[in-house]
Amino acid sequence: MQTSGLLRLMQLVSPSLPVGAYSYSEGLETLVQRGTIANVEQLQHWLTQELTYGAVRLEAAVMLRSYQASQAGDRVAIEYWNQWLTAARDTEELRSQSLQMGRSLLRLFQDVQENLNSTQATDLETVLTTLDALKSQGCHFAIAFGLVASMWEVEETSTLLGYLHSWASNLVSAAIKLVPLGQTEGQRLLLALNPTIEQAAQTIVQLADGDLVSCGWGLSLASMHHETLYSRLFRS
Amino acid sequence: MSAIESLINPPTASSNWQGRLNLQFQVNNGQTRLTHSQAIAPYKVQRSFAHRDGTCQVVMLHTAGGMVGGDRLTTEVTIGEQANVLLTTAAAAKIYKSTGNLTQQTVHITVAPNAWLEWLPQETIVFDRAQYRQDLQIELAPGAQVILWEVTRFGRTARGEHFTQGDWRSHTEVWQAGTPLWIDRQWLPASPEMLDSPHGLNHCPIVGTFAWIGQSLEKADVEAIRQLWEPITAHYPGDQLGVTRLPQGLLCRYRGHSSTAVRQSFIQIWQWIRSHQDRTWNELPRVWML
Repeated sequence: MQTSGLLRLMQLVSPSLPVGAYSYSEGLETLVQRGTIANVEQLQHWLTQELTYGAVRLEAAVMLRSYQASQAGDRVAIEYWNQWLTAARDTEELRSQSLQMGRSLLRLFQDVQENLNSTQATDLETVLTTLDALKSQGCHFAIAFGLVASMWEVEETSTLLGYLHSWASNLVSAAIKLVPLGQTEGQRLLLALNPTIEQAAQTIVQLADGDLVSCGWGLSLASMHHETLYSRLFRS
Repeated sequence: MSAIESLINPPTASSNWQGRLNLQFQVNNGQTRLTHSQAIAPYKVQRSFAHRDGTCQVVMLHTAGGMVGGDRLTTEVTIGEQANVLLTTAAAAKIYKSTGNLTQQTVHITVAPNAWLEWLPQETIVFDRAQYRQDLQIELAPGAQVILWEVTRFGRTARGEHFTQGDWRSHTEVWQAGTPLWIDRQWLPASPEMLDSPHGLNHCPIVGTFAWIGQSLEKADVEAIRQLWEPITAHYPGDQLGVTRLPQGLLCRYRGHSSTAVRQSFIQIWQWIRSHQDRTWNELPRVWML
């Protein structure tokens, strides 16, 4: 990957990217309040199951499809996968999270994209029309992420690893506040998750459309119950 | 082979079923009727009932006791404009252990404008080492709605069996005019870890899904359903029930230990929806009463 692509990826996955990721726990808040996740081992188990069997696998696979469709200038495919995610997100909170972060990322991209010096690889016009369509129907974060990574000429595998890592990193940060865990424990866990993330990425690139399946009971119920928690720090 | 014999000695894969079921419904003078029915073994259709609100109820029957690896059942249902159809099954479905081949069930239903479908089969029991894949594809025309549920028991828990090997997949998709309204791609690759994990089954043998698609709902509706469930959740503290809104409907999930709990909670929402839709009939179909 060219250095410029790497630098843009670092910007895209940085916790300081203003898309509001820090305000979501994706069910962890429910699980911590219920006592299901009370230590770093239980958190590691949860994140490992999610990466290996869970909804983030599907999201990442759709992100990859958005990246590839954007490379090919295939607006129809981008919109198809965006609608697919709306229909496949299990709960209202998870769907709202995905749409809010997607909207923020698209807006940010449009605000900063004039500084981009090269977009030869893709047809900018197509992307801009796609962006307008996505803005009106609501754009999922995974779709926006794939699109921006493609426009910023980030290499494909790195984009996937970056997506999964930023997801894990965000949930570890949420858990540090919720459980609570020490910062060092959190960093140790992130390092320990690397082989799982690499394995998940290897599986995800090979998933055919018909194999986009997940084991969703735990996450779905935790997310459904989040709406009813008496006190909430997070929006999911 | 009797039902009990088939439980003890599941049929072998040498004689696979390729069952087919084709049902068509139309409205005539406000009453929905089964206008076409073709069942190829092991499928059978019991006599249809006409309920007083115009709903036509059909009980589907699998006469072979259960499904083995290599069995492939296909169902095609066409529901005409304004029709009201409730489809259920006569007994629990059983998916036997497989020696390698996939057991497959595929259902395709088209629902015409302003028609109403209730797809409410009895539970499916997935034996240890089963390899199962089901696809339920529903196409809703404008104004059409569907209520569906699915209850799955993993392992013959009454005899202490757990689903520790095998694979289960259930794909449900509801589409309207080329747009997906709900896509549910559930997967359970069996392993002891999956059974124990809070992310997976959390030691629970039963999972259930209830969905109502084709109408947008208020937040207050979700709240009403939660209140409806309070006595059940209080009585079954180890079970979990959740509800959320879909862009065009409602989704509930259950994970627990009791067929009665999941059945009662789903029947309650079903009746709640029926009463809110001014559907006068909401007594339980007789086959549901055990």
